[in-house]
Amino acid sequence: MKLVVNGKSIEVAVPADTPLLWVLREEAGLTGTKFGCGKALCGACTVHVDGKPKRSCVTAVGDIGDQPITTIEGLSTAAALHPVQQAWIEENVPQCGYCQSGQIMSAVVLLRAKPKPTDAEIDDAMSANLCRCGTYPRIRKAVHRAAELMSGAPAAPATPPAAPPAPKPAAAPAPTTGGKP
Amino acid sequence: MTDLSRRGFLHGALIGGGALTLAVSCGGGNSGATRIRHADQTGELVANLYITVMPDGRISLIVNKAEMGQGVTTAYATLAAEELGVPIDRVDVHYADSHPEMRTSFNMQLTGGSTSTKEGFTAVRQAAAAAREMLIAAAAAAWKVPASECRVEDGFVLHGSSKAGYGELTKQAAHERVPGKPRLKTPKEFKLIGKTDRRVDARAKSTGTAMFGIDVSVPNMVHAVAIHGPVFGARPDKVTADAARKRPGVIDVIPFRWGVAVVAEKYWQALAASRDVQVTWTKGDVAGLDTAVMQQAMRAYEDSGTSVVDEGNAGKAIGRAQTKISGVYEAPYLAHAPMEPQNATVSVTGKKAEVWAPNQSPTMVQALVGNAIGIAADDVLVHTTLSGGGFGRRAFADVCAQAAQVARHVKRPVKLVWSRESDMTQAFYRPLYAIKFDGGVADGQITGARMHCISQSIAMSSKEFLGAALAGVPSAIKPMFINSLLAMFSTNTVGDLFATEGLKGTPYKLKNLEVTASPVQTKLPVATWRSVGNSVTGFAMESFIDECAHAAKQDPLALRKQLLSKDTRQTRVLEALAALSKWGEPPPKGIGRGLARHFCFETEVAEVAEVELVDDRIKVRRVYCVVDCGIAVNPDVIRSQLEGAIIFGLSAALDQEITLVDGVVQQTNFDTFPPLRMFEAPEIIIQILDSDHEPTGVGEPGLPPIAPAVANAVFALTGVRLRKMPLQKAWNERGAK
Repeated sequence: MKLVVNGKSIEVAVPADTPLLWVLREEAGLTGTKFGCGKALCGACTVHVDGKPKRSCVTAVGDIGDQPITTIEGLSTAAALHPVQQAWIEENVPQCGYCQSGQIMSAVVLLRAKPKPTDAEIDDAMSANLCRCGTYPRIRKAVHRAAELMSGAPAAPATPPAAPPAPKPAAAPAPTTGGKP
Repeated sequence: MTDLSRRGFLHGALIGGGALTLAVSCGGGNSGATRIRHADQTGELVANLYITVMPDGRISLIVNKAEMGQGVTTAYATLAAEELGVPIDRVDVHYADSHPEMRTSFNMQLTGGSTSTKEGFTAVRQAAAAAREMLIAAAAAAWKVPASECRVEDGFVLHGSSKAGYGELTKQAAHERVPGKPRLKTPKEFKLIGKTDRRVDARAKSTGTAMFGIDVSVPNMVHAVAIHGPVFGARPDKVTADAARKRPGVIDVIPFRWGVAVVAEKYWQALAASRDVQVTWTKGDVAGLDTAVMQQAMRAYEDSGTSVVDEGNAGKAIGRAQTKISGVYEAPYLAHAPMEPQNATVSVTGKKAEVWAPNQSPTMVQALVGNAIGIAADDVLVHTTLSGGGFGRRAFADVCAQAAQVARHVKRPVKLVWSRESDMTQAFYRPLYAIKFDGGVADGQITGARMHCISQSIAMSSKEFLGAALAGVPSAIKPMFINSLLAMFSTNTVGDLFATEGLKGTPYKLKNLEVTASPVQTKLPVATWRSVGNSVTGFAMESFIDECAHAAKQDPLALRKQLLSKDTRQTRVLEALAALSKWGEPPPKGIGRGLARHFCFETEVAEVAEVELVDDRIKVRRVYCVVDCGIAVNPDVIRSQLEGAIIFGLSAALDQEITLVDGVVQQTNFDTFPPLRMFEAPEIIIQILDSDHEPTGVGEPGLPPIAPAVANAVFALTGVRLRKMPLQKAWNERGAK
């Protein structure tokens, strides 16, 4: 089957129900996308399919068709980092770093939809991505910083603490799911 | 300062290995020959055992620590770069393979106990300073000028208009004498320590290029999925795998001691085939174990335990107090659940094995793998990769033993990756605890306190751990040694130090204090979990002090100050926290404020949590945190560690527990063992106190104060005292009996 990954067309010989995660890691050799839970609970495997965030651990590769896939490796060019990556480095976001590919992929989608997100909007968009090291405060800062970098504007004042968001289930559902776990 | 004579240096310091491991020449007393020969061949100068100055001017640093996110690579790069006068990104940090000379922590090659920066602070700088002086000596000799007139800047040695890059000087410098006592910069001269705020690993970890254990690839490697039994320790009894074996790519389905491995050319093939495998299991090591029953028994346990602290006469002092309080502080089993599931790649050739794994202790991996496949621990070579979180779990890298058994069978290198479910249910938990306490209050003061810690012994939980920790003990007497230690723990002749750490040696001047310990024995393995015993003893002591303060009608901060010696790290941290959190002013309506402090890993941390209740949910909206951890090598890494410890600790304090019903762990993934998510992460405000003493621990000490700070805040807000973690569950069940 043919896949379009990071702008390149590749041919893979796998059954249609194979999770996209393992196709990317083992067939395309793109190990930046991580396995965390296998159940779309943690977001470590987040990639873009047709510009939308997908949990690749539960996305059957056969459901992708000709939709373009972008992974963390496809975000930057040799010449320049993506502004979100740049912001992540400036704010020293990563600790162990294992979840950060997924975090960054989610943040990129958020900023595309909302170029100037509030803290509450960041919480909404990013709460499906887990981080055991507790980098959340820095992710918030880095998303604001990325927004500045992308708009080319000087630093805006930090968003004041938002009103308490509506209570959510402890495990926020992933925004999208593909095939079966 | 430690003398840099060959022996003193080797003895007191971390020792670099890698390509030119100078361990060979250490014993001979003269490393010069090896050093010079190497430099002659490759142009590299190995000035001492840590640092190689490469011909291109880059600095290669080999460390015996693992990077789990705690920032050790940034810290060590900073220390080396400081003395060599280069930017930190010119330093490449590598992890040392397993080697006896690398066993610098508790007689093991181990990353744990929040020790890395403390261990490396002087040693790495000495090594770098020695290299600097040798490079200067080489340049001075070439220019025929006194070395004292030369200086270094940005990777160059300078004198007047003369200028030479480090890379040009390595060959000549290798012939210079290794200085016994190189001059270290004074804190006033620091340009990077305390100032540099860049992580050396941020770029790789933001671009997907960082290589973790799960990303390891070795030639001819195959992939394995592990199927584990429903009860810890269950062995596969009957395995039906004919259909699985016929699946494309499947090499074999192999029962091993702890489970069944499905081995295939690709992981996705093994994963697909694993669904076609049916296994019946033996009963397992913990059949029938029920945590609710255990907790009930621990609460009802009346024996007083082994004495650990016995100051004054606590019983008498409590007996005659006006107000008495008593109860039980409780904490559940907890999984570490690092984001990278347990995994290992192992190759077995004859009586030797090679391991690539995210791990916190190559010494422990050697012991586990050696035992698993019946070879000598020293014949196991361990390569440490980046770890996607550790938190203490990867000191017990049992996955390596499992991969080794599979690799021996398939005769090809095997990468075994556990499912999240295996990672969460295959034990090595933070022990379940009950701390029974009573105390007396009279005239606004605590008259006495008794704490009886009932928990499972971590040391007893793993023969391999003891074996690895006793790596230097001759093998003929080692089993006897281990067995006698185990006997002492199990009969409670010796109390497990982890069980009461944080209570023993408390800085509180409690005149009448009794601390005792009783071990609980189960076959469910327990392990170090970020801050270990302190994660519970801190909760107990700081909740207790708060309860006493309320009973004594005292301000919780004022009472603590009275109990602490004046003008100490403890009081300075408390005073700074009072100012930072505006403790003296009443909190806004609807907000409860709780305070806790704890001293562990030689570091003092105090925290104030601001808590509100939103639809019966305990919501921590802000945390103030003040730390004294000695000289702050990388202040922003310290801040990130404290943020991390607070959020990790908050997940446990509020929501997480591992429970067993009839031997079966009830939590299997992040839905039932929920870490805090972004929308509940509090704002965290951190202050690092200035200090001129050597660095102390950072990775763990931020954790113990957060749970009691939250419990104390809930009490301040509602008058309800929560003594059992997870606190949200205790809140939901308040009043129920």
